[in-house]
Amino acid sequence: MEHTKGKNDFTALGKRMPRTEDHRLLTGHGRYIDDIDVPGALHACFIRSPYAHASILSINSTEAEDMPGVIGIFTGKDLAEWTTSLRMAPSIEGVKPVEMTTLPIDKVRFHGDLVACIVATDRYIAEDALELVEVDYEPLDPVTNMFKAQDAGSALVDETLDTNLVSHQTFATPDVEKVMAGTDRMIETNFSEHRQTHLPIETRGIIAEWDAGREHLRIHVGTQAAHPYRTAIAGRMKLSESQVTVISPDVGGGFGQKIALYREELTVAALARHLKCAVRWREDRFENLLAASHAREDWVRTRAAVDENGKLKALSLEIVEDFGGYCFYPANYLARVIAMILSGPYKLDHYAFDVKVVLTNKCGNGPMRAPMAITSWIMEGTMDAIARDLNLDPVDVRRINMIREDEFPYQMASGETLEDINPFETMEKGLSIIGYEELRSAQAADRERGIYRGIGICNVVESTTYGSKFYKSAGIPGSGHESAWVKIEPSGAVRGAVGISATGQGYETAFAQAIAEGLGVDPLEVKIEIGNTDIAPYGMGSRGARGGTAGGGTAYLAGLEAQKKVLAIAAKMLALNTADQLCMKEGKVWRCIKDDWTETELTLADIARTAYLDPTKLPDGMEPGLEVHKAYDPPPMTYSNSSHFCQVSVNINTGEVTFDRYLIVENCGTVINPLIVEGQQHGATIMGISGTLFEHVVYDENGQNLTGSLADYLIPTAADVPELEIVHMHTPNKRTPAGIKGMAEGGVMGAIGAVSNAVSDALAPFGITIDKHPITPDALRALLRNKS
Amino acid sequence: MKKVAITLNINNRDVDMLVEPRKLLSDAIREDARLTGTHVGCEHGVCGACTVLVDGKPQRSCLTFAVQTQGKAITTIEAVKGNNDGYSALQQALHEEHGLQCGFCTPGIIVTFEAYLKENTNPTEDEIRDVLSGNLCRCTGYQNIIRAIQKAAAVMRGETPGAAK
Amino acid sequence: MKPAKFTYHTPDSLEAAFQLLGEYGDEAKIIAGGQSLIPVMNLRLAQPEHLIDINAINGLSQIREEGDIITIGALSRHREIETSALLKERLPLLPEAAMRIGHLAIRNRGTIGGSLSNADPAAEWSLMAFLMDADIEITSARGTRMADITDFIQSVYTSDLSADEILTAVKFPPIAPGEGWAVCRISRRAGDFAIVSVATTICLDTSGAIENLRLCIGGMDVTPVRISHVEHAAVGQMPNEAWIKSAAEVASGIGSPESDMHASAEYRREMAAHLTAEALREALKRCGGGA
Repeated sequence: MEHTKGKNDFTALGKRMPRTEDHRLLTGHGRYIDDIDVPGALHACFIRSPYAHASILSINSTEAEDMPGVIGIFTGKDLAEWTTSLRMAPSIEGVKPVEMTTLPIDKVRFHGDLVACIVATDRYIAEDALELVEVDYEPLDPVTNMFKAQDAGSALVDETLDTNLVSHQTFATPDVEKVMAGTDRMIETNFSEHRQTHLPIETRGIIAEWDAGREHLRIHVGTQAAHPYRTAIAGRMKLSESQVTVISPDVGGGFGQKIALYREELTVAALARHLKCAVRWREDRFENLLAASHAREDWVRTRAAVDENGKLKALSLEIVEDFGGYCFYPANYLARVIAMILSGPYKLDHYAFDVKVVLTNKCGNGPMRAPMAITSWIMEGTMDAIARDLNLDPVDVRRINMIREDEFPYQMASGETLEDINPFETMEKGLSIIGYEELRSAQAADRERGIYRGIGICNVVESTTYGSKFYKSAGIPGSGHESAWVKIEPSGAVRGAVGISATGQGYETAFAQAIAEGLGVDPLEVKIEIGNTDIAPYGMGSRGARGGTAGGGTAYLAGLEAQKKVLAIAAKMLALNTADQLCMKEGKVWRCIKDDWTETELTLADIARTAYLDPTKLPDGMEPGLEVHKAYDPPPMTYSNSSHFCQVSVNINTGEVTFDRYLIVENCGTVINPLIVEGQQHGATIMGISGTLFEHVVYDENGQNLTGSLADYLIPTAADVPELEIVHMHTPNKRTPAGIKGMAEGGVMGAIGAVSNAVSDALAPFGITIDKHPITPDALRALLRNKS
Repeated sequence: MKKVAITLNINNRDVDMLVEPRKLLSDAIREDARLTGTHVGCEHGVCGACTVLVDGKPQRSCLTFAVQTQGKAITTIEAVKGNNDGYSALQQALHEEHGLQCGFCTPGIIVTFEAYLKENTNPTEDEIRDVLSGNLCRCTGYQNIIRAIQKAAAVMRGETPGAAK
Repeated sequence: MKPAKFTYHTPDSLEAAFQLLGEYGDEAKIIAGGQSLIPVMNLRLAQPEHLIDINAINGLSQIREEGDIITIGALSRHREIETSALLKERLPLLPEAAMRIGHLAIRNRGTIGGSLSNADPAAEWSLMAFLMDADIEITSARGTRMADITDFIQSVYTSDLSADEILTAVKFPPIAPGEGWAVCRISRRAGDFAIVSVATTICLDTSGAIENLRLCIGGMDVTPVRISHVEHAAVGQMPNEAWIKSAAEVASGIGSPESDMHASAEYRREMAAHLTAEALREALKRCGGGA
């Protein structure tokens, strides 16, 4: 990869600068969806199913339609005339094709599923009308258990399939069965991860405005991926992409929930066109918890073949995932990646996986921050299980299995290549900081006194940036490229845009730093414009942890390209034959004469003025203006790594878990902005802790969602979370722009494993191992009760 | 159930509006007074995003009807500022310590602590965590918010806080 | 999540409020702080046609002591109770309990009268009122009557309040000088309703034996429960660990707790024992005027 400077020469990259987007957000002048005033906009609200699984026999809306202020009530049949269905039929072996209409027509598939849309002049009135609509349902058998869902006699969630098993994929290296059969010790471990939801504090929402004269649809929607969203909505409304503008303004969190084009949003857009006006919808919290998108309901079993030293010889993995009632993504999208990157920092030659994805009568699943998070718990839980079984120290088992510095690049059994990571170093560093040996001695002494403390370790290899080649080889549709432009206006003002949309990650600041580094100006001089499909170039959006490498990396490359053009003009203006001995620094052209850099008189403004207003002075053949467009497809996969160390105390009387210490040693390569990176790591780690200890979407056996309020779906408060210590051991990626690797999901991965292992460690004297989340006080007491 | 004419005093300004009695204060502030800095996150009193000051005290604007707040002084995020219309100590500290990410919960946190730090000028970390527990944040993990509140409290006491770690 | 329509009334006197109640009966609902009522109205689980706001009525928010009775007006906010100097001195359990109600913004608005009228068995004021045998002052056009808390709160969300009545005050006895006390609870997160909560007061005589014990537990039944046989049997006992353990064991058998998403019945029983022991130990430490 191209570098103009050594890695230590960065001035804008790595700068711990507070964010430029803060100002509007701190003063109440942010612009989230509901803050945007569209005069005359109508309000939509949705009738939702009270049943998990039911046929819709009839909808009587006469009385509601007669209410003053009600514009109309629209059903699945109406929407089917105006929009096409979503067909999810990737040509991937083992994945069955599925299709969904914009609104259900004949039956509903989960508690909270859509039935009809009410449009009124005001949300209050729309909700009044909702109470007057009579829907006649015929309840069907609810499918609520992903194991029973596979039984031959089970009711079908989707009758177009002959089974609820919507995806089944397997893989095995050639000798895995032979190695497993020939091993003395086989250690089986289970992991059960529960259903969760993203819970952005700003729920979903949309404003759709149809310009009947220009036949143009303008959409304000909180989305992580504005351009793919536009492609999707234009396609399903049978519009050209040139007829649609998608604007994602300030967004109050996404975490994966704001990627897909949802049925509610498409309905609102179609109604705006049908009614020739503006229609808006704000999801309320009840709807958000029941029906936005859920995530992570997996049952996993590993079987590890090991030798007497705990060395892993072969591993098999089984996953069964409950995907809910609808596929907004290919059904294998999440579980497949878990299987592919499972082994993380550990050497493994012989590997097999079997991944089943099942439809049930629950809200459809999607990616949630670190959709592959369970990999860390699985691998690190397996390491601890090996240690327990062989009576070894869990650290020694990790040491014997871990990939060492001289073994990178390392090709995993799944075929993926790990490079430029240092898991052994981060683990050893962390062990020495926490004083592992001393903690073990203290732990033994505490146990004598009836105090149960546990140490949990989790080594994370985080898949951060998914390049197009990965998607191809994993059998998942999609591109991993990103694009950016830099425009230097005649005054020298620098504008930049990247095709990725922000939901709180500080992209405006980070991308300004990346472009500033490439171009050689102060980051505060770069104005970033994102989240508008008419302005930003087509990009793949914010997913995984691609913001740094794909977003920041492309921005940096665009900045470099712009600098190249600026310097070519400067060379001509300085009457030099070549720009080789020129560079941009702080917005000025610098020249090297005999190893000595000095400032010239030329500024970026001088060059911009020439480029736009005096083009005859440009080098021969150069086009006037100063605009650069750059697209970049990252390597198949970039990886960051970290080691999490968690010390907890378990109150065996109450089952409460409290944190004594939480340390993270991490390596995410070149850092664009340390302040932002640490913020992302805090947020991700706490989200992992939250999922492990608090959050749980609960359905009863009839498929009723019992967690429709924030008093029931719990995320931790400030009084429930630990202080995190973070130590950095960054090494750059050699193949990405500026060595950026990305992060922002690894914290979730580390926390899930570290907390689980710490609690298991604390309760080792009782023979208790955590194999199920969430780890609630009630659940821990049940385990302790059964052991006593 | 006709609309009623009411006057709310918001940020020292009288705002006349015609609202149904059922209109929530949060909606009246946002839609009728056009002050959209106060956010609505749950409408059942748990998340704290809609917190405003009523007669100087933090309250949930989603758990109050607009008609109930006539004659009271309502303060929203738009009125929070420091000297010369710059940042307050708390806004400045949140900026410096990266105490916000998506920013949706931030106004509720700011108004809560603008009031609380006047009442308790030297809170312990536990006290800060306890008060902050009324505002849910999904992005930050709270750590930088707590650090910022401690820093702001120190600045407000006239101390020079240590540089950020 | 928007409330249904209602007609709004703001009587400025109890008499005016009674007149409205008389006129609208079951169609009317009193609103005080609204911190429990408005969430259920937003969810349209409650749809009163008339909302009678009693906040403008004077004289309902005093906290005062007269002749060894502490009277707390129905409109006293949780936060006012939490910060009351009188209560910190004479009945410190109440400020301690108040601190655990929701969050600051909720406590600034919510009222003790509203909470008790709502008869939520998990609410802190129900526990405090049962513990201290509080008397509830109920006023209507027919006059004022007093109700014992055990008669007033009958079951989950069910009180003895008739459609024409308003809870106007709660009367508590103060604790004696040197009387130990404790309030212990367990909840999933800060500010959540308690899964189980235990409150106690203990008076010791000069020999160190128990002279008087109050012990009350919430979360085990449809109302908080006083563990009266432990209270009676405790008199004259030396409060040692063995006694604490036996009291805790009794506590675990109280009521008929239900299982829900946050805690199983078994867990509640275990917490009843655990919190009872914790509360008794903490209260004993406070006996004799200790912190």
